[in-house]
Amino acid sequence: MILEIKNLHKIYDNGTHALKGVSFSVKEGEFLVVIGLSGSGKSTLLRSINRLIEPTSGNVFFLGKDITHIKGEELRKVKTQIGMVFQQFNLIKRRSVLSNVINGKLGSLGTFESIIEKYSDGVYQEAYKCLETVGIFDKAKVRADSLSGGQQQRVAIARSLMQNPKLLLADEPVASLDPATSNSVMQYFEKINKELGTTVICNLHFLSLVRRYASRVIALKAGEIVYQGLPSDIDETWFKTIYGEEAEEVEIR
Amino acid sequence: MIENPELELHPQQLIEKNKKLEDKFNFIKAVMLDIFFVYYSILVLQRAIYYKFFLDLRELPFSWLQVTVLFAVSVVIGISWASTRTSLSCRLFGIAKDNRVSKWTTEIFGWFLFDITFIAGWIVTKISIVSLFSPEGLNGAERLFSALFQPNFGIFDDALFAMIETIYIALVATLISIPPTLLISFFTARNLMKENKLSFTVYYILRIILNFIRSIEPLIWAIIFSVWVGIGPFAGMIALLVHTIASNAKLYSEAIESIEQGPVEAISATGADRVQVVWHAVVPQIVLPFLSFTIYRWDINVRMATIIGLVGGGGIGTMLMQYQGLARWREVGLIVIMIAFVVWVMDYISAKIREAIY
Ligand SMILES: Nc1ncnc2c1ncn2[C@@H]1O[C@H](COP(=O)(O)OP(=O)(O)OP(=O)(O)O)[C@@H](O)[C@H]1O
Ligand SMILES: [Mg+2]
Repeated sequence: MILEIKNLHKIYDNGTHALKGVSFSVKEGEFLVVIGLSGSGKSTLLRSINRLIEPTSGNVFFLGKDITHIKGEELRKVKTQIGMVFQQFNLIKRRSVLSNVINGKLGSLGTFESIIEKYSDGVYQEAYKCLETVGIFDKAKVRADSLSGGQQQRVAIARSLMQNPKLLLADEPVASLDPATSNSVMQYFEKINKELGTTVICNLHFLSLVRRYASRVIALKAGEIVYQGLPSDIDETWFKTIYGEEAEEVEIR
Repeated sequence: MIENPELELHPQQLIEKNKKLEDKFNFIKAVMLDIFFVYYSILVLQRAIYYKFFLDLRELPFSWLQVTVLFAVSVVIGISWASTRTSLSCRLFGIAKDNRVSKWTTEIFGWFLFDITFIAGWIVTKISIVSLFSPEGLNGAERLFSALFQPNFGIFDDALFAMIETIYIALVATLISIPPTLLISFFTARNLMKENKLSFTVYYILRIILNFIRSIEPLIWAIIFSVWVGIGPFAGMIALLVHTIASNAKLYSEAIESIEQGPVEAISATGADRVQVVWHAVVPQIVLPFLSFTIYRWDINVRMATIIGLVGGGGIGTMLMQYQGLARWREVGLIVIMIAFVVWVMDYISAKIREAIY
C-alpha cells in the first residue's frame, strides 16, 4: 500500500464539515480517480494528503508511515515525494518554463544554491528530460504565461515530475481546458502512470474521462465515500446516487 | 472523535443567535455615537457660535467642571435618545424603528449637524470677503505677481545647483531606502507572518512602529533631524529616508499580501522550505510592483525635498526660503518656475517608466 487513509475528518474554521470519516487505500501503480459533485470534498481530500490543509482527525499513512502529524523537515521530505498538479496550473507566470520546472526540485536542493540559481548540469538535464516527457522541450526558454492552457498544465506536470514523485496528486487538472486539450493532458498522466509507474490520484468531473483513464474510482458525496470500484461498473443507478436524481450524463469527446 | 458544539445548533438557530448578538453590538455603538453627536453639538453651539461669534471673545473661557457637566448631560440625552430607537445613530446602524418620527429626526438632526459644522468652520477660519478684496491687499498681490512674472535669471546658476542638490537628496534617500524597506516589508506582510504567534507579534509591533513613523510628516522629520545632525542636505535626506521606508514598507507589504496564493501553494507542495517559497513564489510576483512604487516614490521625494528645504533641509527649498525672507520676489519667481518645471518633468518621466514596466 502506498497510501492509506483512515477515518479522515475535516472541519473548516467556519464549521463546514467537508470530510466525514473517509477511509480507503491505494496500491502502488494505481490510477485512482475521485469523482463527486462540486463541494463534495474532493479538493479537501487531496489537500489533506499532502497537508496543504490540516485534517481535523483521522490518519494518513504514506508508504506505511503515519504522516498525519509530522512537522518541519520530516514533512518537507515527505512532500518532496508527492507531486501535485492544480486546476489553475499555479506556475510562476513571469519566469521561464525551465525555471518553473526546476522549482519542482527545490525540496532536494540547498537553500543557498537555489537562491543564487546556479544549478548543476545534472539538474538542467533532468529538467529537460521532464520537459521532453510532456512534449514541450522546445519551449524551455519562453515565459510560462506565454503558453496556452494545455501547455502550461504540461509544464506543471513536468514540474511535479522533477520531484521523482512516488505519488502524483491532481486536483481537476483539466477542468479549465477544452475537451480535446483535456484528453491530451490526461494522456500524459496515463503515460507517467504506465511508463514511470507513478501512482496517480486525480479529481475529475467528466465520466467519459474517468472511464477512459481510471483503474479505480472513488465517489464522494457530501464528504462521504458512496462508491468504490471499477469505472466500468458505474451504471445509471450509481450515477444517480452519486450525482443526484436530476443529473443526466453529458457526453464529451 | 470530533468535538464541535456549533454543529449541534440548527443553522437557522445559529443565524438568529448571531443576529441578536449583532443587534446588541449595534445598539451599543449607536448609544456611543449619539452621545458623541449630542456632545459635539453642545460644544460647537457654545464655544464657536456663542462665545466666538456672538460674544466675540478673544480668549475662550475653559473649565474642566463645565466640560464634564456638559458631557454628563450629553450621556444622559444620548442614552435616552438611542433607547427610543429613533435617533440618528440608530438609523445609521440599521436598528431604528421604521416610523415617521425616526425618519424626521434623522433628517432634521442630520442637517442640523451639517449646518453647525459648516458655520463653526466658517467662524474658525475667519473667512472674510472684505480682506480678500481690499484695495490695499490687491495692490500688494499685484506687485508680487508682476515680480514673479519677471524672474531674475541672474541667479540661474545658483538656483540650478540648488535644484540638482534637491534631486540628488531625493534620489539618494530613495536608493538607500530600498534594502531596508524590502527586508521590513516581508515582516509586515500578514500572509507570511500569521502562521505562528511569535511572527505575528513581530508583525504587529513593526506595523505599529511604521504607522507611527508614517504619521509624522517628512517636514517634521526634517525639523527633528536638522536639530540632530545640523541644518543642511543631510538632515533633509535622512528625513526623507525615514519617511520613505515607512511608507513604502506599507505599499510593498500590501503588494505581498495581494499576490496569488496558487503558486505559493504549488511551491510549498514540492517540499521547498520557507526561504525557497518566498524567493521562488513570492518574490517573482512582487518585483515589478516594487520597482514601480520605488520610482514613483523618487518622484514624490523630489517634491518633498523642495518642501523640506523650507525648514532647512537644503537644496532649492532653502534657497527659496532665503529669498522669500528678503522679499526679493523676482528671484522667488525664478525659483518657483524651476521647481514647477522639474516637478513636471519628474512626473512625466516616472509615469513613462512605470508604464513601460507593466
Ligand atoms: N478554506 C475553506 N474554508 C471553509 N470551507 C471550505 C474551504 N474550502 C472548502 N470549503 C468547503 O468544504 C466543502 C468541500 O469543498 P471542496 O473544495 O473540497 O469540494 P470539491 O469537491 O473540491 O468541489 P469543486 O468540484 O467545486 O472543486 C465545500 O462545502 C466548501 O464550501
Ligand atoms: Mg475542488
